[in-house]
Amino acid sequence: MSSIISISGLSKTYQGGFTALKSVDLEIGKGEIFALLGPNGAGKTTMIGIICGLVTPTTGTVTVDGHDILRDFRQTRSRIGLVPQEMSIDMFGSVKAAVSFSRGLFGKAPDPAYVEQVLKDLSLWDKKDSEIRALSGGMKRRVMIAKALAHEPDILFLDEPTAGVDVELRQSMWQVIGRLRERGVTIILTTHYIEEAEQMADRVGVINKGEIVVVEETGALMHKMGQKRLTLQLAEPLTALPEALKADGLELAADGCALHFDYDTQAERTGITTLLARLNEAGLSVRDLETSQSSLEEIFVGLVGGKA
Amino acid sequence: MNFRAIATIYHAEMARTGRTLMQSVLAPVISTSLYFVVFGAAIGSRIEEIDGVGYGAFIVPGLVMMMILMQSVSNAAIGIYFPKFTGTVYEILSAPVSAFEIVIGYVGAAATKSLILGVLVLATAAFFVPLEVQHPFAMLAFLVLTSVTFSLFGFIIGIWADNFEQLNIVPMLIVTPLTFLGGSFYSISVLPPFWQTVTLFNPVVYLISGFRWSFYGVSDVDVGISLVAILGFFLACLAIAWWMFRTGYRLKN
Ligand SMILES: Nc1ncnc2c1ncn2[C@@H]1O[C@H](COP(=O)(O)OP(=O)(O)OP(=O)(O)O)[C@@H](O)[C@H]1O
Ligand SMILES: [Mg+2]
Repeated sequence: MSSIISISGLSKTYQGGFTALKSVDLEIGKGEIFALLGPNGAGKTTMIGIICGLVTPTTGTVTVDGHDILRDFRQTRSRIGLVPQEMSIDMFGSVKAAVSFSRGLFGKAPDPAYVEQVLKDLSLWDKKDSEIRALSGGMKRRVMIAKALAHEPDILFLDEPTAGVDVELRQSMWQVIGRLRERGVTIILTTHYIEEAEQMADRVGVINKGEIVVVEETGALMHKMGQKRLTLQLAEPLTALPEALKADGLELAADGCALHFDYDTQAERTGITTLLARLNEAGLSVRDLETSQSSLEEIFVGLVGGKA
Repeated sequence: MNFRAIATIYHAEMARTGRTLMQSVLAPVISTSLYFVVFGAAIGSRIEEIDGVGYGAFIVPGLVMMMILMQSVSNAAIGIYFPKFTGTVYEILSAPVSAFEIVIGYVGAAATKSLILGVLVLATAAFFVPLEVQHPFAMLAFLVLTSVTFSLFGFIIGIWADNFEQLNIVPMLIVTPLTFLGGSFYSISVLPPFWQTVTLFNPVVYLISGFRWSFYGVSDVDVGISLVAILGFFLACLAIAWWMFRTGYRLKN
């Protein structure tokens, strides 16, 4: 896979002296969906801001399709569409005017047929003449996507596309992203949610405290991150774990009222079935059960810790 | 040059003016016309001529300049401040446009609006007071140059301002006093010699004097000096705007 964005030695220290990015190296492949995963303040938006021209880098270089983002900014920016994290859209004027404005700003000749297609893809066509301030929040977000697509970019940045978006819109957004990928558009999105990255991305980059912790094919990363914990609330407290139950990953809670079972969702066999059968044999009754995934932060600690 | 982008910014800004016709066109025309009625027609008849020009007619060029200055500064300042304030400026900054192109789009639109206002106010003035224009081309040149220069100045204020208070402070505290003291309502020759000298440090004096000369052929300072002064201010503003974009001042982090 040839790379379309090359980032090397990129760092950013903001005016107050805070270093948001620490010498980041990253290659984004042409036509892939790349998810940038990281907790609040990791530096995701900063990185996108630099590539798109909103933030000036402190050191390092970024090339887009072989063009330097600072020296050849016309070349690089005309290839990029950006949907920022914050809702920022001019409330006045119609949907169609807003999208046409974006297209013109990027120097493209008017193309009503293309604009129509974009608006239809995003289910905005029947709202094309509405004032933007009269739209719902989700629709405004879609207008922002339409604006980012107005100049037919080869690369689309979506900074937290699903924040504050309902399930239905999330689904239709995935559809749009899927169609864009079929057309060969490279998509970089940021998210806090592992599931979201899992669902869409070809590759995932995990960023924490301004450093890229890991870049991996989604499947491989999911395996690493697939640890879950099953907690079984017992009807009667136990003083010790019965011999017959002893198995890898099973432990008794300190108060004796619950069993914790750690397992790997990606494994061939999770061991849950066996565990439940054995509980039955041992005559233990279960009052309640829940599963939990390690939080993103825990996983980061695990990943970073594993590397050190 | 990304001409299409320039045109796009320009049209969007003009459309913004079109949406607020009452506030952005009607209000300044009416409020300036009130001066003609009060000072020109009503009080003016009791004030003697200045430099051989009736008082009502004498104040017209100064009032037009005053209106153009205020409108150019505030309109251009809002034009760029608002996107900065709401965050929509991200789109401009991420577009393949140079600083120069952005300036042409925004400042061009603000200056166009000022020009339209200037012509409207002059036309209105002609109803109330006898106007003559001895040097129409010079008049037009002053009108255009002032509109462009002060729109550029307003644009700079809009980038500099961090809040609405700062946005208003320069027009209110600097531009208004300077225009009032810049000879809109009097010839600076009526001032005591000391104050005449002080007044010469006020850049607006040169604008009003030159503009008034294009009407009646009389001026407080030489027309050539007026032209040089406004050109100098224009170049200074251009340099500041260029520096702002080059360094990303208050636009980029
Ligand atoms: N303009 C700024 N000035 C100073 N510090 C900033 C600025 N913008 C961001 N930062 C800091 O840089 C760090 C990275 O911010 P960034 O917005 O890139 O994080 P993020 O990964 O996008 O987080 P989130 O998931 O919350 O959107 C944060 O600690 C933030 O406080
Ligand atoms: Mg962010």
